[in-house]
Amino acid sequence: MLIKLTGGTVYDPASGIDGQQQDIYIQDGRIVKKPAEEVKVDKEYNLKGKVVMSGAIDMHTHIGGGKCNIARTLLPEDHRQDPVMRSDITRSGCGHAMPSTFVTGYRYAEMGYTAGFEPAVLPINARQAHMEMADIPILDKGGYVMLGSDDYLLRLLTAKKDQKAINDYVAWTMQFAKAIGVKVVNPGAISAFKFNQRKLDLDEQNSHYGVTPRDILRVLATAVKEIGVPHPLHVHGCNLGVPGNMQTTLDTIQGIGGLPMHLTHIQFHSYGTEGDFKFSSGAAQIAEAVNKNKNITIDVGQVMFGQTVTASGDSMLQHANHKHASPNKWMTMDIECDAGCGVVPFKYKDQNFVNALQWAIGLETFLLVNDPWRIFLTTDHPNGAPFTSYPHLIRLLMDRSFRNEVLSTIHPEAQKMTTLASITREYTLQEIAIMTRAGAARLIGLKDRGGLSAGNWADITVYTDNNDRQLMFEKPDYVFKDGQLVVVNGKVVSTKWGTTHTVKPDFDASVEKGLKDYFNRFLTMKLANFKISDDEMTEDGRGSITVQPLKGDVA
Amino acid sequence: MSALTFTLKYRPDQRVDMSPLVCHHLQDLALPDIAALTLQSGKCKLRVDELFTITGSDAQTIVIKNSFAKLDFIGKELQGGSITVEGDTGAYLGFGMKSGEIKVSGNAGLYAACEMKNGYLEVAGNVGDFLGAALPGNKMGMKGGVILVKGDAGERVGDHMRRGSILIEGNAGDYCGSRMTAGTIAVMGKTGRYPGYAMRRGTLLLWNQPQLSASFNDCGAHTLAFLPILFASFNKLNSRFAAETAVFNRVQRYAGDMSEMGRGEVLVKL
Repeated sequence: MLIKLTGGTVYDPASGIDGQQQDIYIQDGRIVKKPAEEVKVDKEYNLKGKVVMSGAIDMHTHIGGGKCNIARTLLPEDHRQDPVMRSDITRSGCGHAMPSTFVTGYRYAEMGYTAGFEPAVLPINARQAHMEMADIPILDKGGYVMLGSDDYLLRLLTAKKDQKAINDYVAWTMQFAKAIGVKVVNPGAISAFKFNQRKLDLDEQNSHYGVTPRDILRVLATAVKEIGVPHPLHVHGCNLGVPGNMQTTLDTIQGIGGLPMHLTHIQFHSYGTEGDFKFSSGAAQIAEAVNKNKNITIDVGQVMFGQTVTASGDSMLQHANHKHASPNKWMTMDIECDAGCGVVPFKYKDQNFVNALQWAIGLETFLLVNDPWRIFLTTDHPNGAPFTSYPHLIRLLMDRSFRNEVLSTIHPEAQKMTTLASITREYTLQEIAIMTRAGAARLIGLKDRGGLSAGNWADITVYTDNNDRQLMFEKPDYVFKDGQLVVVNGKVVSTKWGTTHTVKPDFDASVEKGLKDYFNRFLTMKLANFKISDDEMTEDGRGSITVQPLKGDVA
Repeated sequence: MSALTFTLKYRPDQRVDMSPLVCHHLQDLALPDIAALTLQSGKCKLRVDELFTITGSDAQTIVIKNSFAKLDFIGKELQGGSITVEGDTGAYLGFGMKSGEIKVSGNAGLYAACEMKNGYLEVAGNVGDFLGAALPGNKMGMKGGVILVKGDAGERVGDHMRRGSILIEGNAGDYCGSRMTAGTIAVMGKTGRYPGYAMRRGTLLLWNQPQLSASFNDCGAHTLAFLPILFASFNKLNSRFAAETAVFNRVQRYAGDMSEMGRGEVLVKL
């Protein structure tokens, strides 16, 4: 079937198209070149005056894994307040802060998103995370495997094993946990928490293993680069949420020595200690460092006001934050030898000085980082806010007067502590398209996604241009996923199953020798059971695996 | 004006959500409108007049006749007026009621008076588990009002209770007063295991010696002047709690739960 999208205004940063009127042809799920005149168009959509972008990609969103289910279990009231009825084509579920899997897929698609990446897949729980994501309809998905506080890596470092051994271990883990990236969360500190340390600075030693976060970051970033994984090491740094952590973040950028590194939810890592409340914005310094160091990419982790739940592998900081839990219930737990997990419900209030300033710091970061190819739009769903707040966030970025209007309503002391009012920048549609589409696809290393030129998969979102950007991005006219029309006027009209993006870096088979002993001695599953096979992901007939090329592969 | 009376015609197989039939929803509606309201029953929606014969007109005084244990959410969020139930009720009787009065001649199911805010609820028979409790996951149960149960209560009476009084003439099940933050629960009969489990504050007033866990400390025998005042507040009730012979002021006091704040108390009649 040949579909023609006629006359839309196309924003396709991947091929340098910025708001030109263009026709797009779709055949067999892909975008194709203009066919010969005599070929019959089966279905035509008149998109004159409409805005056309590729499907949006959320490169950091917590949509799978044990913490999601823990958050759901912990907050039944959040679900009771947002029940979702079934329809003839969609399943029932519930929404708000941590929606059910099906509702996650529908709501993302209804905002024009066609892919989401889970940034904290624990190797030992990877199977569950993939199975859970397999229940998310429409979206493509993938996971970053979480390393850095796992005992095996720390043992390798303590034993002064060479980089090759670490590369093999990282590649092996990625391959069998079916990951597309590597994430490190508060490097070494989740392990240190188990040895009764309650904070771990960049150059502080894990008291048991004697390694520092700086060492861990360097070997992992090196490993990711050397085994050819396109997505740079995905770093949730030290001291999340601690006033003064801006310096830690600057040191982390410096300490990585030019290796590619992605600093995630950087808003939570951009705090100074100035002012009456000893809490201030470090966004300007962080943005300056990001602008200067081209090896660094960031996503923001914007805070939005309202009830949400924070779910993180960082059990050290979640334990420290539990006193702010609202409603007052929380948990942290150990994940055998791998890492930890902490779930703390949170209500960000605009009349709370700290929350209000967090909101402003996130926006400052967005507006002060110059290169939209190296900054990504996230709320660290659900930690800063549920992903459903993205259209509101886009309006804040694109509409200065609206931004200043909201700014004038937040805590007055926070208003004094931010330079937000003086920043005139407004994001353009092209910059939004870079941040949420082309840039994200490039960062993760997705071939044939995030662009609208011929050869790309037909993930396409069509909006009605509207000066109220929130309304515009809340309700796309059409969303196509792999060429199938899935959303019309912001409502799901058909569903399908997305693919799971992975990479398969090479490793030396001898790596399993040491790992086998380790599994037998310390873990609750055997090495052979740890490995997720392709069949497990696809045998239900709806999942599929897409192996993305490594750097240096011939595309 | 005579009471607005709903007489059940037959017992449906599926449970029925009765929440539309409360005084404040019905008071401005004509009888045909009330008859045309729909009630969720399992997967189906049933018209009110399919299930009930409707007589009378005073929506501030509702009577439900032939009631049975599958009619849920009777008196949900009631704001003023009275509901009298002849027969049993299902779960969530008086759920979140704000004011007014509910009287049941038979038994009530699970979660009666769940998250009740104020008003008066009386059950002549027995009630199920979680009387005056919070919904699962919620942190606050009953916040005010008075509940009188003439029969027995199930487990977890007053779970997460915050304020108000629960009076039980019969026995109470296990975990009576669990996780309560404040309020008063009085039990004339026996209590099950773990009374006051994880209670922070509040009072359990018991006629019989309970089997207390080790995290309650015996504080000795006391003569408490507030007890006769408390009993005086019950004397308008149609209850054994109103009888002059019920009044006492001499109790053994236990403080707990020490695994929580430990500012709660269990008072046992001496």
